[in-house]
Amino acid sequence: MEEQIAELVAQVAALEASSAGAAITNTMFAETFYYLTIPLMIIIHAGFLAYEMGASRLKNVLSSGVKNILAFAFMIPTFYFFGWWVYWAFPTGIPGAAGPAGISGLEYANAIALGWGDGAQYMGPNIADQASGVFFGAFAMFAATTASIMSGAVIERIQTVGFIILAIVLGSFAWVVAAAWGWHADGWLVTNFGLHDFGAAGLVHAVAGFFALGVLINLGPRIGKFNADGSANHIPGHNMPLTVTGLMLIIVGFWGFLMACVIVPGEAWSWFADKPATIYGTPITLSALSFNILMAIAGGIIGSWLFTRDPFWMMSGALAGIISTASGLDIYFPAMAFIIAFSAGIILKPCADWLENRGIDDAVGAVTVHGTIGLYGVVMLGIWGSGYPALQGAAGDAPTINFVGQVIGAAVFFLIGFVPGYVVSYVLKMFGMLRIPEGAEIAGMDLVKVPAHGYPEWGNKAPITAAE
Amino acid sequence: MFPYEEASWSVVDGPMYMLANTSAPGWFTFIAAVICVAVLVIGQKSEAEKTKRFDE
Repeated sequence: MEEQIAELVAQVAALEASSAGAAITNTMFAETFYYLTIPLMIIIHAGFLAYEMGASRLKNVLSSGVKNILAFAFMIPTFYFFGWWVYWAFPTGIPGAAGPAGISGLEYANAIALGWGDGAQYMGPNIADQASGVFFGAFAMFAATTASIMSGAVIERIQTVGFIILAIVLGSFAWVVAAAWGWHADGWLVTNFGLHDFGAAGLVHAVAGFFALGVLINLGPRIGKFNADGSANHIPGHNMPLTVTGLMLIIVGFWGFLMACVIVPGEAWSWFADKPATIYGTPITLSALSFNILMAIAGGIIGSWLFTRDPFWMMSGALAGIISTASGLDIYFPAMAFIIAFSAGIILKPCADWLENRGIDDAVGAVTVHGTIGLYGVVMLGIWGSGYPALQGAAGDAPTINFVGQVIGAAVFFLIGFVPGYVVSYVLKMFGMLRIPEGAEIAGMDLVKVPAHGYPEWGNKAPITAAE
Repeated sequence: MFPYEEASWSVVDGPMYMLANTSAPGWFTFIAAVICVAVLVIGQKSEAEKTKRFDE
């Protein structure tokens, strides 16, 4: 008898050790998973850098690069200072009450997301916390991506500091509010209206796209973009192959972006100990993403090729394909994703033309690709996905996905983007911080702002100076 | 609509895509295939017209 008890005790101890080992493995897997999404998402920025510089004329190529790189750099500390805190503080809205899931509200945000006081322990190296840093890092990359979406639309005439202020408002505040409201288990758009936006079609892309529209209205078009009769001219960038390659890099990086939208087991905010979930706690698999992202990319390219035959619009179509299906990448059937993305690819260029005919000079089509198609994607899920659980658990916990809820979400995302974009750029314009003077724009921003030459051996009067 | 009686993922242990367990996925696959073929046909036609202009 004693021998049997001893044997049982040994077996229990072995099981406990095994269970502890599995938990450690899970924790390390989760940490590695999110860590790897960060360099993947930095590829998005390599893409934005390439496509913005390619879309710029020779005289502006480096200043577009400087603007883009600097926005990325300012996103990280500002998201650390307050963006991360905003995400956790306001899911239930203002004034920041705690939500039913118990992971939101001012008190919670103060405890985990501030770089001082008690929260500091979760905002720096901590031997007992393998989640906060990588989760923060992934979100900081979402923020940087959001700001970079606006960046391309305003090239060749915006002031650097004015642009950085706008980027901070967008990347470390506006989209974060949208994420808190619609991309969090306690978000009021989710709990009250059943909003579902798995891959952030609305809360990242639409917010950024319509923020850019608000800025463009105050910024005005580039000199020479429109004729006296209001007709538009095409201002070609200096390097279309670079632009197209950049767009392809953005597509590569979006695999990391969407991978980071998955909540895997083993970290502090995991929904389950044994399976991945969306940020809403509903099921998701990486296989689902593989099926649907690939089909969406293909559908978007084919749809835009049909009428444009233009590699710029084809690669923009790839991006539009992903964005148009992003809200429901977890539950679309691959052929549905293809068809929706195909339709997005078809409407892309006409939507961009419509905007241009109203005097908006969006140099890279960001308002259309991200804004219009982002809202299209949110609403599409309301049409196709009605009745599906929006949040983890039974339907009684929150409304299921529904058309009205998706439309309300789309309207909120439009306003969260457009209003701050318009208001802040209007204030910057009042203080003379939005647009560079006409003479400098004509001379070229590289000559005015950048002590370097993009292509010193041709066409840019690069002086030969003594080496220091 | 959610293809199970209870609108909860706890009752699902298989396909999780929209319209699972119906014939709809097959129809969507068929439509997607038709789109691919149609786009190639239209693309060939318009490209042939454009290239012809350079032969004249």
